[in-house]
Amino acid sequence: MSQITDPIKEGLQRGWKVLGGVFGPPPENITCDVAIVGSGAGAGITAELLSKAGLSVVIIEEGPLKSSSDFNQKESEAYPQLYQESAARKTEDKAITILQGRCVGGSTTVNWTSSFRTPSATLAYWQDKFALKDFNVDAMAPYFDQAERRLNIGPWLTPPNENNDLLRRGAAKLGIPALAIARNVKGCWNLGSCGMGCPTNAKQSMLVTSIPAALDKGARLLVETRAEKFELANGKVTALLVRSVTPSVPPPAALNTMSNTAVAPVIRALIATKIIAKHYVLAGGAINSPAVLLRSGAKDPHGTLGKRTFLHPVVMSSGVFEQKVEAWQGAPQTIYTDHFLDTQAIDGPIGYKLEAPPLHPVIFASTVPGMGQAQHDLLKAFPHNHTLLALMRDGFHEQSRGGNVKLRSDGSALLDYPLTDYVMDGARRALLSMMEIQFAAGALKVLPLHEMAQPYTTWTQAKDAVSALPMTPLLTKVVSAHVMGGCGMAGGEKLGVVRPDGVHWQIDNLSIHDGSLFPTSIGANPQLSIYGAVNRLAQGLAKKLTGKDVQLA
Amino acid sequence: MQRRTLLKLGVATSAVLALVGGATAIIKPGFERGSLTSGGEEVFRAVAIGVLDKTLPDATAAKKAALDALVVDINGLVSALPLHTQAEVSQLLSILNTAAGRFGLAGLALPWATATSAEVQAALQDMRFSRLAVRQQAYAALHDITASAYFSRPGNWALLGYPGPLKI
Repeated sequence: MSQITDPIKEGLQRGWKVLGGVFGPPPENITCDVAIVGSGAGAGITAELLSKAGLSVVIIEEGPLKSSSDFNQKESEAYPQLYQESAARKTEDKAITILQGRCVGGSTTVNWTSSFRTPSATLAYWQDKFALKDFNVDAMAPYFDQAERRLNIGPWLTPPNENNDLLRRGAAKLGIPALAIARNVKGCWNLGSCGMGCPTNAKQSMLVTSIPAALDKGARLLVETRAEKFELANGKVTALLVRSVTPSVPPPAALNTMSNTAVAPVIRALIATKIIAKHYVLAGGAINSPAVLLRSGAKDPHGTLGKRTFLHPVVMSSGVFEQKVEAWQGAPQTIYTDHFLDTQAIDGPIGYKLEAPPLHPVIFASTVPGMGQAQHDLLKAFPHNHTLLALMRDGFHEQSRGGNVKLRSDGSALLDYPLTDYVMDGARRALLSMMEIQFAAGALKVLPLHEMAQPYTTWTQAKDAVSALPMTPLLTKVVSAHVMGGCGMAGGEKLGVVRPDGVHWQIDNLSIHDGSLFPTSIGANPQLSIYGAVNRLAQGLAKKLTGKDVQLA
Repeated sequence: MQRRTLLKLGVATSAVLALVGGATAIIKPGFERGSLTSGGEEVFRAVAIGVLDKTLPDATAAKKAALDALVVDINGLVSALPLHTQAEVSQLLSILNTAAGRFGLAGLALPWATATSAEVQAALQDMRFSRLAVRQQAYAALHDITASAYFSRPGNWALLGYPGPLKI
């Protein structure tokens, strides 16, 4: 039995106001100052600041409230409980698998703690192309400073695990600079289980920081409750309709009403709540935030809603080493290189950031390609496996316009993201760069994750083979853990969905405070970019609504 | 009802269905009420024998037990997917469980239950490298669900040399 104290259980005992799911049904009507959709990076920061300003806040989260007592480091429980679509969300053509959180704390509860400020080149591009003149390095610095202090973001001083050190050593052999990644942790046990929820509360996610701070100030939290749509009139939101989430496995009572068809019918949840607030903040994450606006029939005079959704499409290369790597243990992603971002123009051929992800059985087994003996050999080499990933910086080029969020017939969100030749050219170059680093680090064999690839034993052989592979969707394994855009921020009405202060261009009492704000991808793991940008927007909103100045830290 | 159900399929899937005469076939769901149907189970048992050919235990009784456990784990995995994805999995299995669908989508002439692992592998490889997106998507779904479900069970981690999470 774990001896770790659980700050969520303690908070509930102190009297936090939580409803939904096991906490009991929310009432039919709720009134408050501000209703916040979501509880991830943007929602959490907003909730903390607005509560601090004395506003009555209601937070609406689609996923469950789970905490350190529940986090048992098992993928088979973490994925269904904590991730959107059980960690199997896919783009419309099923060519990209998307990892996104769906629990209190959102993706911050399950991310790998990598913390980067928004790169200066990205901010400069926004100023130039999206008229965001105040989003420059100096203007953003104090907001990043505060977020970093609040969330204990800093250098990780423990030596990297072998998984990350291989990236450092391989890059060094090739003269490629590789640096340490800052992390948002406090007293980290170096377990390596961040992706399944931190069992020791070391990760300074929204779940253990800002959400508790807001709840301690009286904010109300509705869990397992989905924001369906806004009611809109005369350029304002008049109400937010939310509904308790239907479990994927219907309770026995609901089964009696199901007809015997190949298609499981969508069961209408019984409990609906109308929330009336003075102001509304949409922070359900890119994909879900635009989907709420689409369901609401929000005005979109310039056709920008749900457009320009970016993913940092990721390709991977899997190396086998003589020594054990045990990529499941130790802090994940502590070394990176931006060499392939920094050495080319931001609006030229797509650049990519390289990192070393952690591996656990389910995610590993589902990405090992093929079957039979070849697959068996790769599976057995798991302790010796070292995988590198390249996250591609999308959204800075004419041929990288990202994806479009749409609605299925049941109202759920669906992302269509075409993997263009421009992106796939980057995928090939990224596979080549990663393989060269792995061979330089001493890999016995390297397999780029592509259905037609084989494990190669020399760099020359690998280079020749990958240069000739058809880089097409579905044959090339592509994943994403960073969804951005879809409600882009811009200094002109025609260029985006929200104004530079985060308020919707056509809806005066609606702000958008999450990764969907970004007009391009970030070019780095986005959590700190969301904290920094939203810290600024939420301080502005608090001032507008209350006249008070509040700060995170 | 049947027509309405079929209309929910994507355009590419509908094209394959038309190709294989699926529109007139009697379609039974492959997954319903939290479980694979007998037809869906037949497909996944065969797919597992193909995909996990060298990974499943050799001995007949142990292999049967591993496959029985895998069916339980697939039920758990698919039940946790959103309803629209469950519906897609169900329809994929329905199609694969008709003779026309099995032949048209998987290229497998023999019934799943009687095909050898080599025959199933040949069919899966054919889907994997097909130029039709719908066949590639079907392969990916069958492969990923099988592998993910199998290695979600701690009893199967020994093969991977994975000791399980550290006790805290």
